[in-house]
Amino acid sequence: MSAYTPVEMITYTGSRILEDNKIVFVGTGLPMIAAMHAQLTHAPGLGMIFEAGALSPILDMGLPLSVGDTRACRKACYLKGLCAVFELTQRGHADYAFIGGAQIDCYGNVNSTFEGGSYGKPRTRFPGSGGAGVMAANCEKTIIIMALEKRRFVKKLDFLTSIGFGDGSPDYRERAGVMGSGPYRVITHEALFGFEPQSKKMILREIAPGKTSNQIQEKVSFELLISPKLQPMREPTAKDLKLLRHVCDPEGYFLTRKVDA
Amino acid sequence: MRMNFQVYNGLRFNCTKNDKKTKHAFEWWGPAPTAARKIAVGKSKMLIDKRLSLKAAVNRYIRDGISIGIGGFVNTRVPVAIIHEVIRHGAKDLTLAFQSNSICAELLAGAMLLYPQHVSVKRVELAWWGYEVIGIAPLLRHLAAKGMIQLDDYTNYGMSARFKAAAMGLDFIPVRDHGGSDMERVNRGLMVSSPFTGRNTYLVPACYPDVGLLHVTAADIYGNCRIFGALCTCPEIALASAHSIVSTEQIISNENIRTYPNLTEIPYLAVDALIEQPFGAYPGVCYGHYWFDMAHIRMFRSASDEFRKSGNQDPLKKYYEDYIFGCETFDAFLNRIPRETFEKIKQLDGGQPIIVE
Repeated sequence: MSAYTPVEMITYTGSRILEDNKIVFVGTGLPMIAAMHAQLTHAPGLGMIFEAGALSPILDMGLPLSVGDTRACRKACYLKGLCAVFELTQRGHADYAFIGGAQIDCYGNVNSTFEGGSYGKPRTRFPGSGGAGVMAANCEKTIIIMALEKRRFVKKLDFLTSIGFGDGSPDYRERAGVMGSGPYRVITHEALFGFEPQSKKMILREIAPGKTSNQIQEKVSFELLISPKLQPMREPTAKDLKLLRHVCDPEGYFLTRKVDA
Repeated sequence: MRMNFQVYNGLRFNCTKNDKKTKHAFEWWGPAPTAARKIAVGKSKMLIDKRLSLKAAVNRYIRDGISIGIGGFVNTRVPVAIIHEVIRHGAKDLTLAFQSNSICAELLAGAMLLYPQHVSVKRVELAWWGYEVIGIAPLLRHLAAKGMIQLDDYTNYGMSARFKAAAMGLDFIPVRDHGGSDMERVNRGLMVSSPFTGRNTYLVPACYPDVGLLHVTAADIYGNCRIFGALCTCPEIALASAHSIVSTEQIISNENIRTYPNLTEIPYLAVDALIEQPFGAYPGVCYGHYWFDMAHIRMFRSASDEFRKSGNQDPLKKYYEDYIFGCETFDAFLNRIPRETFEKIKQLDGGQPIIVE
């Protein structure tokens, strides 16, 4: 077993849950690296969408620093603008959304708009929805990356930016007028969560080696469901780490960051 | 007028007669669709040379109280040169409209904080305002926390679709996002039931800016524009706006435009003023020409962050004095950047092939 960082564990986990021959709508940073790693290993037929307008580029100029930059457009199959790629998504061509945020609740709803205060006068204003709100609405499945912290896994969001299962009612998404089936996985460096089909609540599926479900529960404000088939999280091999560090993000733009946990 | 952001007691999906969204008449923050159409009808459709200096263009179209649509995406092909000139010119009570923006929005925010009698932004219709890999936007955070700015939040598709609706001459466009989120509660869209299927469908109002600001790869003198790399929402913003100011990396011949008419992304009809401005998106990226100057972006951001955290205006003020007010033109600003920077950012672009001859 090789030593790996929390960020590397998140990225590797993101990669291994992406299936081959699907389209993943990715944001800047770890989602891009996860998708690149998946392409280089088990999912050579995986395509990416970047929201500024690129479909299925080949990232042979290096890691994009923005979803709109030159590298993100490199050798794409189709290159238009935001309307074109979001309309592909609305039409059903994007299988996975890969989003992040500041807060998540037990139904997989995510906040990336503000924390504290009010909408008109927030204590801490974040950048806003960007693509996340529409990706969570209309990609078929939503994958969320989040640091495992009590202040992020909250009982109630300060603002619901990206729709999950709403209040958990069975027809919430249908009534909301959105198209995708909703939250699929939540990735942290110590736990991988899914959603229980009936209650739509977050369920612990996998935990990092050496951790217990109680330790995970302590970092989550709401009550977690625990899968009866709880598994250990797979760890990246030396080969995976080499790919991540030397091929996907050789300049260390994202992988050298710390997870504030 | 400041909106009253009340929560309507768990009543979501399908606004009712009691909801504030239907009680008050909708207010257009730029021209109404009929007024925007009238402006288009009134324009000369002649193929004429649209080239102007930046100063003349901004002087002609920018005034207090208008709504400005900003093209590009985050720091990709953003109209930095035009924004510098808008700040030099000065304009108060602006409404900004964009999907995702970074340095252009922060430059206007900084000008407002330092020179409130000269530049001010009263509200922003947006999806995202930040720096992607570098971090959050300090001046947005400051303005929002102080309640100095009104924000109207949509998704990136929501804002893009709003410009598209205006480009189509419509009042609104149906989209399949926003519903069930808190954006539905606070923004100016409306949930309706589809007249054909009964399915809940979110309508976003069209966004018609008074003036669109855009930077493109190449254009002929009449304003037929070619864009390489991601189109972002530039064609839609140009067509949505009552008037558009466009800067271009280079001027190409009308003969070339007519050789490849499929490559024209913005037709001359949607362009009112054209400025040939190489490096017009610097320190942002422009496909086929140059990559980001991350060091410059970080320098401006750290001056902004110091202001937010400590209240110390000096580094931020120095930036405006050195790079904006101390420069008569955008070329004068570029002359203050070390020459080797341009060599480096040109190399980092990798010479992406573009069709300009």
